Parts: sequence; C-alpha cells; structure tokens
Amino acid sequence: MAARVKTVVKVKGQTLCVERANIDTDQIIPARFLTGISKTGLGQYLFLGMPGGPEMLAAHPDANVIVARENFGCGSSREHAVWALTDRGFKAVIAPSFGRIFEENAYANGLIPIALDGEGLEAALKSRTIEIDVEGQKLTTEDGKTYGFELDPLRKRFILEGGFMEWMATKIDAVRAWEAARPTV
Amino acid sequence: MSKSLLDKVWDAHVVEDLPGENALLFIDRVIAHEITTPQGAIDIQERFGDKLYDPDRIIAMNDHVSPAKDQETAIQAQVLRTWAKRHGIKLYDIGDNGICHVMVPERGYVEPGLTMACGDSHTCTLGAFGALALGIGTTLQAGAMLAQCLILQKPKVMRIDIEGKLGHGATAKDVILYVISKISFKGGTGYVLEYHGPVVDAMSMDERMTLCNMAIEAGATSGMCEPDETTIGYLRGREAQPTGEAFEKKIAYWRSLKADPGASYDKVVKIDVSGLRPMVTWGTNPGEVVPADGTVPADANATSLEYMGLQPGTSLRSLELDQAFIGSCTNSRLSDLRIAADVLRGRKVTIPTIVTPGSQAVKRAAEREGLHDVFQDAGALWTHSSCGPCLGMSMGVVAPGLRCVSSTNRNFPGRMGNGGRVHLASPAVVAASAVLGRIGSPEDLEAAAPREKVTA
Ligand code: SF4
Repeated sequence: MAARVKTVVKVKGQTLCVERANIDTDQIIPARFLTGISKTGLGQYLFLGMPGGPEMLAAHPDANVIVARENFGCGSSREHAVWALTDRGFKAVIAPSFGRIFEENAYANGLIPIALDGEGLEAALKSRTIEIDVEGQKLTTEDGKTYGFELDPLRKRFILEGGFMEWMATKIDAVRAWEAARPTV
Repeated sequence: MSKSLLDKVWDAHVVEDLPGENALLFIDRVIAHEITTPQGAIDIQERFGDKLYDPDRIIAMNDHVSPAKDQETAIQAQVLRTWAKRHGIKLYDIGDNGICHVMVPERGYVEPGLTMACGDSHTCTLGAFGALALGIGTTLQAGAMLAQCLILQKPKVMRIDIEGKLGHGATAKDVILYVISKISFKGGTGYVLEYHGPVVDAMSMDERMTLCNMAIEAGATSGMCEPDETTIGYLRGREAQPTGEAFEKKIAYWRSLKADPGASYDKVVKIDVSGLRPMVTWGTNPGEVVPADGTVPADANATSLEYMGLQPGTSLRSLELDQAFIGSCTNSRLSDLRIAADVLRGRKVTIPTIVTPGSQAVKRAAEREGLHDVFQDAGALWTHSSCGPCLGMSMGVVAPGLRCVSSTNRNFPGRMGNGGRVHLASPAVVAASAVLGRIGSPEDLEAAAPREKVTA
C-alpha cells in the first residue's frame, strides 16, 4: 500500500458539478467510516455524509473532476476525504477556495486542487467535460474556452512526480544539522 | 523590526526557505492518535525502514474511540500501541488517556514558542499557550515524523482584539461563536488568529483553549494567545515540565514572546463583546449562530434550513430537543464541568444527556469534587473520557432527524450521526437545555423551573 503517487500530467475529465459551498470533510466521508488502517478502498463511502450525495454520484458514474463552490473540504483534517475521492477515480477538484488542510492533503496525494472563481468557475460548473493541463496550469471547458490557474510550485512537483515522503526524507540530514545548531532555550 | 507572536515563533523554526514562499518549518512535537496515525506509521515502516526522526518528539494516545467499539477500532488502537512501544514513544492509553487536545496541555507538553502538529484539525487548541499548533493530514504528519518538519507558507496574521464586558451567562464558547459569526465561517482562511485584548487577558487557560479550539471553525490555520502569567501558572508543575531552575529559565523566554508594540498585522479586527448573551447555532456551520433567545434569520441559507428542519423566524427556544451532550476538546475540562454541574445541581434532565470528561485526569478531578454525583443525580450519563459522539463514532451517536444540543465544535450535516441535527452551545446552555427539553440559557431555566432545595 501507499505506493508513490501516480504521475498526473493531463486530465481529460467528466465533471461532477456540485452547486454548493462549504462541503466539509464530514460530508465527503463521515467519521463512522474512519475505522480502518489503510488508505485504500474508501471510495465506497464517498459523499455518504452529503445530503443527496450518493444519488449525485450514482448519476455521474464516470465523473473524475469535481466542480464545487467555495470552501471545499473545510473542517476535519481527515485525509480519508482525499483518499475516498482518489479511490473513486477523481483526479481534480475545482472550487474558488479550499479548506487549508484538505488542499495540502490533496497535493500530497496527487489530487489536483484547482482554485478558480469568476467566469472560469461558472463555465466549469456548466461544463460536462473538462481538460486539465497540469504542467501548463490551464483548463479548457466544454465550450472551448481556456482558463489559467495557480499551483504552488513546490507542491505541483508532488503532483507531477509524486514522492512527497521521498522529498522529506532527503531533508533529514539538513534538519539534524539545523537542530544541532539551534540555540537552546 | 516589530514582530507579532506568530513572527517570533515562526522565525525560530525555519530550517530552510523553499520555492513558492514556502518554508521548511521545524516541528517540536508531533501528537499521534489512533484514527489518523496508523496509515502514516505503516507507510514509514514499509518504505522508510521504520525510522522516525526522534521518537521523543512524539506523544501518542488512543482517544477518539477509546476503549475500541468494534474490531476495526480495536485494530487501530493496537497498531498505535505496538508502534509506540516499538519506538519507545510515550503513549497514553485506556485508563490514563483523554482527548489529545485536552491531555497534551494538561500534562504540560505544550508551552509558549513551540511548534506542534497533529493529524487533527483541532490541534489549534494548543495555540492558547502561545505555540504555533497545526492540524495536518496523515501524510504530512508522517512527513513530520520522518523529517520533523512541515512545508508551509507563512500564514497571514489576523489580530483580533476582544473588548467589552460580557453579558450575564456568556462564556468563552459564546465569545468564539460570536467571533466566527463576525468574521464568517471561512473568514479566517489563510490566517492565524492572534487573540488580544482585555477579555482574552482575563481568561483562564481553559477558556483560552476554547477560544483557540474553534479557530479552525473560521477556516483559520490556527489560533494563538500571548503567553502571560496565567500561562506560566498553568504550566508550573505539569508532568512534562521541568522543575526548579530549568523551569525558571524557560519563563524568561516565554515572556519574551509577547507581540511587540507596533507589530504589523495583515488584518486587525476589533470585537466588542459588551452585553454578549449565550449563543446557539441554528444551522450547519458554526457561523450560523444567534443568541439563545433569538430566532432563525430571515435570510437563512435554504440548504441549512432544510437539513435542520427549520423555518426563518423560528424561535430557538421553541425547539424541542432529543439529546444533550457535554464533552469534546472544546468544552470538557474541569471548569466546563463545574459550570454545567452548577446548572444541574438539584435539577433533573428531561432528555437523554451524556457528560463525557475530556480526559481521565479531568474525570478524577471532577469526581473528587463530587461533580459525578451532581450529573448522575440529575439523571445524566457520566462516562469515561473519549471523543465519543462529537464526531458521530461512538458513545451517543445522534439518530437521523433528532436534535442534539452539544458543547462540541461542529454542527456539519451528519457530524454527530447521519441525519442528526446539532445545535452548538456552551456547557451552561447545554445543561439548562437538558433540563428544559428545549433550547434555553441558565437564566431561562431559572425563570421556568427554580431548582429543588438542595440538601447536603
Ligand atoms: S473531541 Fe471532537 S473535535 Fe475534539 S478531537 Fe475529538 S472528535 Fe475532534
């Protein structure tokens, strides 16, 4: 388990548009499903805490990109929310803003958190398909219009190349040296 | 340069500057609980030779579902246990455990100026001590156990000055609910909330923890209070703190962490709590809140209304309740239990009521004061410590459509049980409501049902 995150460069996606703000991680996966010790197999619980969530998912069986309103993934730190999304085949979430912890978790697992608002978001919310170019940081909606988006340059690397933990491991010696030189209080 | 409290803590922990305005930030202590730690611990074992940067910098506890409720949660607890034992990590387990955000301060593991991280969003509670305390996911926590660091962009700082004289019956919980209603449920996103002002200065550490606990409920990265004599007094003599000269030496450093006069902030907010009354949430996020004697707002969000089974204009006092819960990392410390007991003394609850102390140490302290008798005489269930129904996992999960008044921190759909409806309030309001069977403050209770004569 817990192998390197798979490389994601381009996503040709079908969307699941959720016209809601503040979809918290309790709605994405309720705590009663957090009883395991594995990162896999959580897709079956996705959106079971969201009123109307299961029906919405059933109506879009092939969706792999979520489009939602602001503050997606707020609340609990449970990374299970991201694992449930990726297990279910989702590659990206598009929303005007994210809960901080969810966004960090997404990057660490290769789920692309795309912050988009205004015209781009409205177009994405209406789009049944979407094309995402991670490297070029742009997406194209169904009507052929293209919108750019920002990605954190360091964390983008974890999406493109995976290996967040490997990267951290390369820092251990430097951290030890820093700690040894740290003034004691 | 004048520095904020956050500046001071941050600057003392930057190991390296990284691309994208990120920093590699040293984390002094990692807290590990059974729900979010196993996957990361297993990953380190399988792919990184089971090597932790420094097991002495980790504190572990079984807290969310402890004792385990079933086979799965028993396995989670066992994984944490064997992992902690293998590495010589300090573990708090059945019999001497408690909710991580209650235990870590109570045992003195948090102190001013430290950086702390835990796979739990309410880690922000610990900011009450002037530490930078961060809730993170499992993978980042594993990274912090492997290399003792997080990759972080420095958060912005919102200085929140809280002033004025609280109205009758208002507590720290009412203050933070009010703050969230003012800055909004997502208004803190990207910020650390630095709480200042006379109201905060006058608060006990328990109250400051309640204030910081719900910083995440405004979307904030964390909350922080300046260390002062209250902080020092709280920490003196705690289990993880040194004694004698070693402790005195720390104090000098802690005192230096106060925000400098003239420090610059990304945002400054003044909150006047004069006359603030007890607050209760009506909706499905903690910012959807009104005074306990208020009504559901006219412009209430339709999705929230539908989930909560409410109409605009409905008076909260008219709502019949099915359950009451006093507990959680927000409000389950000894002072919270005292307040609840004061309301319940000589009275009877009329709905199923559960009182769950924040740690076994809190439980024992409460029992030494006879609080367990007060709760049980009132007809409430007095349990061992755990997170319990706060996250809808065990010990009093709320059934679909039922209404629970709760001293916890989240009223999200399904939070305390699928379809369950949660109204957040202070322990005093929960206790009063448990007697009334509907939402009400201790004042309402006094008016409606004067207490029986208390003998003894
Ligand atoms: S008491 Fe509730 S909010 Fe606090 S740590 Fe436990 S589950 Fe989380």
